[in-house]
Amino acid sequence: MIKPSHEPHSNLIKFTMLLAGAVLLLMMIIGLLMRAAQGDLIEIDPAIFYQLMTAHGAGMVGAASLTGAAIMWYFVSRYVFLLKEVFVVFLTLFLFGVLFILGSISLGQFGAGWTFLFPLPAISGGAWETGAAAAFIIGLILIGVGFLLMNLEVGRKVISAFDGIGGALAWPVISGKVTPDDAPPPAIVASMATIIFNTIGIVVGAAVLVSSLINLYVPAFEVDALLAKNMIYFFGHVFINATIYMAVVAVYEIIPEYTGKPWKTSRIFAIAWSAILLFVMAVYPHHLLQDTVMPAWALIMGQIVSYLSGIPLLTVTAFSLCVYLRGSNIKWDLASALLVLGVAGWSVGVVPAIIDGMISVNKIMHNTQWVPGHFHIYLLLGEVAMSFGFMAYLIKEAKSSEFQMIDKTAFGVYLAGGIGFTLMFLVSGAMSVPRRWAVHAEEWLLQDRIATAFALLVIVGALIFVVRYIIGISTYRRT
Amino acid sequence: MQHYVLALSLSLMCFVSLFFISAVMASGNKKTFSSPEEKRKKYIWAMFFIGIVVTFTSLWQYPHTISKSVHAQAINVTGAQWYWEIDKEKVLLNKPVVFNVHTSDVNHGMGVLDSDGKLIFQTQAMPGYVNRIEHVFTKPGEYKVICLEFCGVSHHDMITEFQVVEKVVAQKENKND
Repeated sequence: MIKPSHEPHSNLIKFTMLLAGAVLLLMMIIGLLMRAAQGDLIEIDPAIFYQLMTAHGAGMVGAASLTGAAIMWYFVSRYVFLLKEVFVVFLTLFLFGVLFILGSISLGQFGAGWTFLFPLPAISGGAWETGAAAAFIIGLILIGVGFLLMNLEVGRKVISAFDGIGGALAWPVISGKVTPDDAPPPAIVASMATIIFNTIGIVVGAAVLVSSLINLYVPAFEVDALLAKNMIYFFGHVFINATIYMAVVAVYEIIPEYTGKPWKTSRIFAIAWSAILLFVMAVYPHHLLQDTVMPAWALIMGQIVSYLSGIPLLTVTAFSLCVYLRGSNIKWDLASALLVLGVAGWSVGVVPAIIDGMISVNKIMHNTQWVPGHFHIYLLLGEVAMSFGFMAYLIKEAKSSEFQMIDKTAFGVYLAGGIGFTLMFLVSGAMSVPRRWAVHAEEWLLQDRIATAFALLVIVGALIFVVRYIIGISTYRRT
Repeated sequence: MQHYVLALSLSLMCFVSLFFISAVMASGNKKTFSSPEEKRKKYIWAMFFIGIVVTFTSLWQYPHTISKSVHAQAINVTGAQWYWEIDKEKVLLNKPVVFNVHTSDVNHGMGVLDSDGKLIFQTQAMPGYVNRIEHVFTKPGEYKVICLEFCGVSHHDMITEFQVVEKVVAQKENKND
């Protein structure tokens, strides 16, 4: 099996994870305020609520994608030489993008949601000016360009080191020409697949963003709303999925260190990742199931591929991890516990997502709180848990290797909070509570208030993770 | 139907969770999983089989089919920031109703709630397009139309109502009109 041969860019990645951890925490606090406002526990003006919602969406997707990128970069740089400067440029563009987005929201009162659904940024009903919408869109473009550069650097190095795209995707293992012992490591296969679909997604996203930007100042430059919607959801779906698929690289690389058993690229693993590459791009029409002008074949494809997407996750990544854990004598600590939780949360979260991907169910569940219910499960208890696990891994040598009581408490509090918080979304969705409403009816307040209490628990857990991380990296700096 | 969806989802979510919990509990055991690849194959085939059955049963009749019934009533609904315009306030019970959904500005989502506040169907309103959706109302009463696609600062205020009435009552009222 190909072994790591380079030193990863530890300090750069530690700094990136510190930034991302702080943003995740801040966005969680914004989420708490939104749920408290919906529960009528605090009063927030609807205009401010929707600005907070826009910040929460953009901030969470941004921070999660930053952690995913950092994880992928860290582990790929153990196998191939990556130019550190490219990551610095990526991070710089990312931070400039964040500045533009924050400025558009705080100074320009922009509140069209992170999905910038055309033509809402241009038609605000007097809530924000064109300049605010332009700043938001420019911010997203800057972040996208940063991601594109980062992907191209990782992609070109992996392609040249592993005999092309097919080699990096372990196609010779599928055809039987190469044994799993000589195959590229799972981290490389996963990164190659992710880079391909994320690059295509970002290019499509940039195209619709630039079109929207021109339309802001030249309204005669019209964009077809259906085409724009397809492009936005293609980009959005691919981008957020890429975030999770980049983060799972941490599981493939770290868990073997805890068990002493290598995680090899088997034939089924290689087939699964090639299938993921296609499914992630083909599934996006499941976001447009209630646009009846869409061709029936596209919506049917959305439903079928939505279901098929669950098969590689559940029967390959989740199943393999469970097989791998049994009898492994794995050493449990915060890092390993959070990484396993991440895969479990992701796997559990796809269940309500797949069910909502059926046209007949979607007709009564789409854009209710069922939707944030399922995506909060596979982000909060999935991707974000993996990222906190990676952070704990980065500092594990700076602290005792034991699963200390404070870590166990933080893990338990985060898990309990996450389960309760997301369940309230699902229950509300089943009660037809719409998503993205600043003001809630009297009969919906109970779930909102329970969710607020659980959100508080999540924040307490996350705060301990981040504080422990800060103490951990400070200890490293002293030693 | 929503409660069946919730119950089914929670059951399957518990099944997946138990799979992980049992693996974590067994991590300290010496006993490993017996013939995992055989089990994996069974799971994959089971998922394919269930998928085929669910796909055929749920799509046998395309959920967005518009019937060609001569008795169908047509309603034009237009969304705008932040109100709905509906060209009929009353529709007939047990007869197909086709909603032609437009928007005059941004994307909106037309969600119809029954008198218990339960969402019974929805479709999107998109600039430059008319989304059509058909429904047969089987309960008379007041129905609400809400917005289910975020459309700006008063998105949550986009609420209107229409009535589903018995045929006799509708005819009488139509005469009065």
